[in-house]
Amino acid sequence: MKLTRRQTLASLGLAAGAGLLPRLALSQDAGIFRIGALNPVTGAGGPYGTGMQKMILAAAEMVNAAGGAGGRKFEVFAEDTQTQPQAAVLAAKKLIDVNKVQAILGTWSSGVSLAVIPLTNEAGIPLFHCSGAPALSVAPANGKKLGYRFQATNDRFGRAFAEIAKKEGFKRPATMAFNNASGIGNTEGFTRAWTAMGGEVVASVVYEPAQPSYRAELQKILDAKPDVIVTGSYLADTTIILREWFQTGEEIKWIIPAWAANSELVKALGPDVVEGIISVDSISNEGSPAFAAYDAAYQKAIGKSGLGNVYAAMAWDMVIVLALAMEAAGPGADVAAINAKMREVANPDGTKVSNFAEGKAALKNGKINYEGASSILDFDEFGDVTPDFAASFIRKGEIKREYQVKL
Amino acid sequence: MDAYLIAIGTIAGIYLLLALGLNLQFGLTGLINFGHVGFFCVGAYTSAILSTKGVPIPLSLAAAAALAMLAAWPLGIISIRLREDYFAIVTLGFSEVVRLVVTSEGWLTNGVQGIAGIPRIFRAGGGEAQAVLMLGLTLAFCLISIVAMMRIVRSPFGRMIEAIRDNEEAVRSLGKEPARFKMQVLLLGSMLAGISGALYAHYIGYISPDQFIPFVTFQVWMAIIMGGVGRISGTIAGVLILMFFLEGSRFLRDVAPFIPEVSMASIRLGVIGLALILFTIYRPQGLMGDFTKR
Repeated sequence: MKLTRRQTLASLGLAAGAGLLPRLALSQDAGIFRIGALNPVTGAGGPYGTGMQKMILAAAEMVNAAGGAGGRKFEVFAEDTQTQPQAAVLAAKKLIDVNKVQAILGTWSSGVSLAVIPLTNEAGIPLFHCSGAPALSVAPANGKKLGYRFQATNDRFGRAFAEIAKKEGFKRPATMAFNNASGIGNTEGFTRAWTAMGGEVVASVVYEPAQPSYRAELQKILDAKPDVIVTGSYLADTTIILREWFQTGEEIKWIIPAWAANSELVKALGPDVVEGIISVDSISNEGSPAFAAYDAAYQKAIGKSGLGNVYAAMAWDMVIVLALAMEAAGPGADVAAINAKMREVANPDGTKVSNFAEGKAALKNGKINYEGASSILDFDEFGDVTPDFAASFIRKGEIKREYQVKL
Repeated sequence: MDAYLIAIGTIAGIYLLLALGLNLQFGLTGLINFGHVGFFCVGAYTSAILSTKGVPIPLSLAAAAALAMLAAWPLGIISIRLREDYFAIVTLGFSEVVRLVVTSEGWLTNGVQGIAGIPRIFRAGGGEAQAVLMLGLTLAFCLISIVAMMRIVRSPFGRMIEAIRDNEEAVRSLGKEPARFKMQVLLLGSMLAGISGALYAHYIGYISPDQFIPFVTFQVWMAIIMGGVGRISGTIAGVLILMFFLEGSRFLRDVAPFIPEVSMASIRLGVIGLALILFTIYRPQGLMGDFTKR
């Protein structure tokens, strides 16, 4: 019995070791450009990670089918960050050192991206991420200008909240934030934008996650008599807060990020409680041909509408922008030369294109401007994009988008 | 490949320091510490804050060890006389308190945003040389701790703490006060966790409160349980097994290419879970378990 177990263990170890050999042998092929798909398949990013990874694979396949970029074909190595910095660091090391990837795509939470970006900088390869933290824009994290953000910063989310609050004519906003970088980033961004417009925030609280009741925090906010409460919250806590607010009977409006104010929330609380809530989200570049292509791929891979996963649309764009930059840089270009072409293929003043094949053809006649599935995808000097936002209202249990907000 | 193995080695070394501390507390003395990550966190934040403010790294490392011990001291006074299960709850609570303090005191710890850009310990040379030096330093700390542990086990002090684990009443009837020994063990273990935390902070370069969740404690528990409680060889084996499953499973796809990329992550977690269950069924004493006692 003991022997068998030992033998099993030993053979497992040998098998794992032997498994390395084919991969190492592959790394001598010149017509291949290796990319790492480092996504949050498990952990807090779990609802998005699978879709992101599948879209990276699908987009890479599409680029390869169109003859490859700059004479090279993509080979994708997929890893899971577990939405944890430490696991992400080891996964990134493996991608860089074992698989020899030349770009890492699709890290999701700010903690993960902040931990991975020193490694990609050291290796001199780009990191495309969808994290909100402002620190990722500037040095030291983005000192080498190799980081590109495909998601709105938390600050831009806050600004969108402020635009909506102004448009709705609110005068006395208060904020409630879940105590993490994203929650606080939203409400602080709101407060900055709102005070810059000359307004005043009457009260704000930051609350701890996973409490059975938020009555104390809520009471503190209600005492200041706000006319609207802006939150940086998640589904579980929002459900409790709204239920307790409804019991107080106070007449107040809510502006809540869409990852909390969604159909699950309506289902949990019933249409009466959530009536009139404003749900805000960054929106994909819906209606664009690029989005249609992404949506079709998403339907095929996941079997659901691509509208439900904005991060998958970002992941899709990551591959295509990279491929276009490679095509623009020409055959055999190194990573630095490819990085130098990023803005040239994505920002204005070129022929507008919406997929790789189209872009590849148009590049022969000069500059192009890729209009992505996730946003129009124009990088500023920090490598950040500015997506559009939408305000949706919950009426009679239905979430209806009423207008878009452009920053 | 080399750099990846070096990375795994460094992380394994950091976990080994944590596990050695816990093995001293639980394996040798019988203190059920469910809050080990609290001291790890104190060490990480101490060294990170000091070194980003310009304090030389050797000093910040020493401060991390000292502060982790200091944090353990009042905790020890309050709870060391409690029965073991109460001690477990108090330590679990302590680690959550540490995390909440770190989350809330934004002026010092930058709150939930975390501290980015923590300087590396070795700045000279290229990435590869730095990584090797870091691995060397981590392993040196491990080696010193292992030698110290082996000496402790053979010393009168070691026999005393094992006696406390096996029968506290008997120790008391011999005229010895267990509380004093337990306190010393608690301080020693916390010091190791503090050093481990400091190394972790400088190695990863970015820390935030959500990295110091109780799950870290339980990973260390998994390691010492799989390896064999109360044995130094078991602690080392346990950490290696844990790293083997966590990292080795990344390569599972190379032997089983029919598994789609996206399922891999879930399979990895499944494999680790299965291994833990098999260990509990077939080898409850752990791989290097002590079969002579109990």
